[in-house]
Amino acid sequence: MKRLYASAIAACFVLPGLALADDLDGLTPQQLLPLAQKEGSVTVFSLSSRIAKVEAAFEAAYPGVDLIGLDMSSTKQIARIEAEQQAGVHAVDVLYIADTPVVFTKLLEGKRIVNYVPPRVESELEDRYKAPLLTQRLSTKVLMYNEKAFPDGSPVSNLWQLTEPEWQGRVLMVDPSQRGELLDLLTEIALHPDEMAAAYKAHYGKDIEIEEGLEGAGEQFIKALFENDLILVPNSDVLNKSVGDANAKNPPVGFGTYSDRRDNEKEGWALQVANNVEPANGILFPAVLTIADKAPHPAAARLLIDFMFGDDTPTGGAGFEPFNVPGDYATRTSIAHHPDSVKLGELKAWTIDPAKTAAARGRIGDLIITLQ
Amino acid sequence: MTSTSLFVPSGSRLLRSGFLLPVLLVAIVAILVVAPLARIVLSTLTPEGMAAWKAVLASPLSANLWWRPLFNTMILGFSVASGCLIIGGFLAWLVVLTDVPGRRLIGMMAMLPYMIPSFAAALAWGTLFRNSRLGGSAGFFETSGLAIPDWLAWGLIPTAIVLIAHYYSLAYTIIAAALSSVGADLVEAGQMAGAKRPRIFFGIILPVVTPALIAATSLTFAGAVANFAAPALLGLPVRMQTLSTRLFGMIETGQNERGFVIALLLIAVSALFLFLSDRLVSGRKAFITVTGKGGRTKRFPLGAWRWPLFAVAAAIGLLTTIVPVLVLAASSLAPQSGALFSNWTLHFWIGEGGGEMAQGQAGIFRNPVLLDAIWSTIRLGLVVAFTTMLLGLALAYTIVQRRGSLLATLLSQLAFLPLLVPSIAFAAAYIALFGAPIGPFPSLYGTFVLLVIAASAHNLPFAVQSGRSVLGQISADIEESARLTGAGLIRRLFAIIFPLAIRGLFAGAILVFVKMVRDLSLVVLLFTATSPVLSMVAYRYAAEGFMQFANAITLVILVVCLAASFLAHSLQNRVQKWKES
Repeated sequence: MKRLYASAIAACFVLPGLALADDLDGLTPQQLLPLAQKEGSVTVFSLSSRIAKVEAAFEAAYPGVDLIGLDMSSTKQIARIEAEQQAGVHAVDVLYIADTPVVFTKLLEGKRIVNYVPPRVESELEDRYKAPLLTQRLSTKVLMYNEKAFPDGSPVSNLWQLTEPEWQGRVLMVDPSQRGELLDLLTEIALHPDEMAAAYKAHYGKDIEIEEGLEGAGEQFIKALFENDLILVPNSDVLNKSVGDANAKNPPVGFGTYSDRRDNEKEGWALQVANNVEPANGILFPAVLTIADKAPHPAAARLLIDFMFGDDTPTGGAGFEPFNVPGDYATRTSIAHHPDSVKLGELKAWTIDPAKTAAARGRIGDLIITLQ
Repeated sequence: MTSTSLFVPSGSRLLRSGFLLPVLLVAIVAILVVAPLARIVLSTLTPEGMAAWKAVLASPLSANLWWRPLFNTMILGFSVASGCLIIGGFLAWLVVLTDVPGRRLIGMMAMLPYMIPSFAAALAWGTLFRNSRLGGSAGFFETSGLAIPDWLAWGLIPTAIVLIAHYYSLAYTIIAAALSSVGADLVEAGQMAGAKRPRIFFGIILPVVTPALIAATSLTFAGAVANFAAPALLGLPVRMQTLSTRLFGMIETGQNERGFVIALLLIAVSALFLFLSDRLVSGRKAFITVTGKGGRTKRFPLGAWRWPLFAVAAAIGLLTTIVPVLVLAASSLAPQSGALFSNWTLHFWIGEGGGEMAQGQAGIFRNPVLLDAIWSTIRLGLVVAFTTMLLGLALAYTIVQRRGSLLATLLSQLAFLPLLVPSIAFAAAYIALFGAPIGPFPSLYGTFVLLVIAASAHNLPFAVQSGRSVLGQISADIEESARLTGAGLIRRLFAIIFPLAIRGLFAGAILVFVKMVRDLSLVVLLFTATSPVLSMVAYRYAAEGFMQFANAITLVILVVCLAASFLAHSLQNRVQKWKES
């Protein structure tokens, strides 16, 4: 009874807030600012600790709105927001989060978050970056090789090469049953059976035969890759060291993060992306900005999301700059990509669709478990 | 804290009748342990949950999802527990009961490994034994021309060795506390009766410390089966999965139900072993060694064996503490993580920001939040250690007093479980349970109190196990006489039980403190304050790829833990003045 009463009271506060939220979506930053200042603060869960830099810039740009940034991994964000909302606690405003297939099924379909697209940048974003979730930037899981050991370019030009004896025990990957992005990568390969079959034909000159129980050339590739002694590692640090070591004689290749190349000099690595790979070298996956259901500071939340899309300069200014690293890509077209990296349009990677990946992920996850 | 209310109405008849305390404890344990566990069980009874049970236990996946990981996990658990018992027990005997030279040094080194995160030991192993399987730079032995086979570089054997090197200090801490209560009178009585040394050891000392051995076994077993870092770093490259890596992977890829099913099954299997070991203890007579008289400890002269045994102990200490600490220290000094021993710089400790190094990040001692973080870390560790020990002592007291009863078995089983519940599930359950206001109590969401309650529950096993092993040896006579003279429960606790059991209590408190100070997952899910704790600062650096800073913070954590254990050591010597001889 008491709980009912409490939620009735809460509803009185929240319902007008909901009506208000619809109106808020159309407001410009200038119109949001006084409302946000009245709210006083905004809390964000962030997958990146660079939120600290955003905090300084945001508070300088919009005095009177205190940004409280808590950095935690996507998995923990999801666990926490689910538990909080089950307890009727609405304390966080904005999620800056990856792992979008899980976000899509657990949070968006569960109506724990709402999508918001800042009107200021709406015209500069492709439709697929605006729904179902607002994508701020794209990261990668792509095939990386050692450019010191292979000065003539990537030793791999077709994914099917990785299933041959030459690369036995020499392909590395962070365990896809431990990390979502790698599971997404394999899922994406399985979602492109025709391209995988065409690449097979281009390489071997004959049609691929699919084993019973497997669906399509993508799944056949996954099985062949595991059977060719694919080496699983616990984290990208281990992977980069193994693939990238500048002194290595005959280093392996691995599916890693393109932007880790920026640490080459600091770490003594020679990581380079293998871009010219049939049918694709990996995936681009989104980092999204989204508003929690019944966010306590709805105007400030929108103001922050707008701010994190940067200003109109090519670097994106203080709001985006902390995330502007070579190998990651802004979705906003006015922000120039880093001159040292392959342009987004030229990167031969598939961009994942959270909804489709979410639907296919379970099957691929199970397949991987049986292959181990 | 609710637990403090236990000791308030000391004069009440209910308390004296010995009825209220157990009832209260059952209620507290029900709220702190059973409720979150029940929530996890419930979440596996949904349609998705039932599908998860089927997938784990009866599907084409079960072999790789459950049976093989279970097999690996059990081998790890048993080999680590027995390895820890042998090494920890040997060192404890050496330090407490013999006249080996450098006892303090050995004792200190034996405390250290548990304070160093297990990934450091795994890293150290890799630095020495890494072979060419992963490519990249090889380890020390391969570089010097010694081929290292895969079985020595990766998989079960290195994982077990690394985990023994990490957890034996847990066993040492508990066994040493119990051994120190073996009075000289017992040993001298044996000697007068003409017993030889082996007879005294196996006939007197071993039986007396059996509860401690069991406690150490169960804690190291639980630690080994729940550890993630070592099997992930050393096992995955040869596709060795344990239940903990499976559990982590399931939760990390959004398949929580499967993760919870695995966790529940792991709890069930471990509880079975614990139950059997409990049987082993309660099936025989308890030996009372703390009688309040003649509390000196008798040291055995080692004779010609003094120095050889010292050498063995020193070698163990060197390999398990100095080497990992060196690797950690080197990796906080080397600019490139692939070349740990070249181009050392102090930049990551004290360097000024803005330069070329580390993308302009300043050293950790120039990080303005560091001092804050150290302070809030210590505060958190102390508060949690205190509340956990208070609750743990009450539980252990009840369990020991009612040894063999159904209540005692139930309480000791329940108090052991939290160690095996994945902290992400534990924390989520706590938010869901205490986030909403319950009756007259306000919502605890985002408060320090919630963090302390959850952490106390999560660390309860350390407190209960270490408390039990010491309380079990305290003679009921002393308490009886105090009771006859009219001393209430509080009086008895503070005047008799605390001083006598102080070593065991402090041993448990240190373990809790260390666990709390190092542990990240519980804190990150329940913390809302902007001033972070040290483990969060380390996580921030690591998440941005700055392992040097993260390792430097790990060393700071180590120093904090060491300081705390020194403090506890000097405190317990002050209380137990009669031990000085």
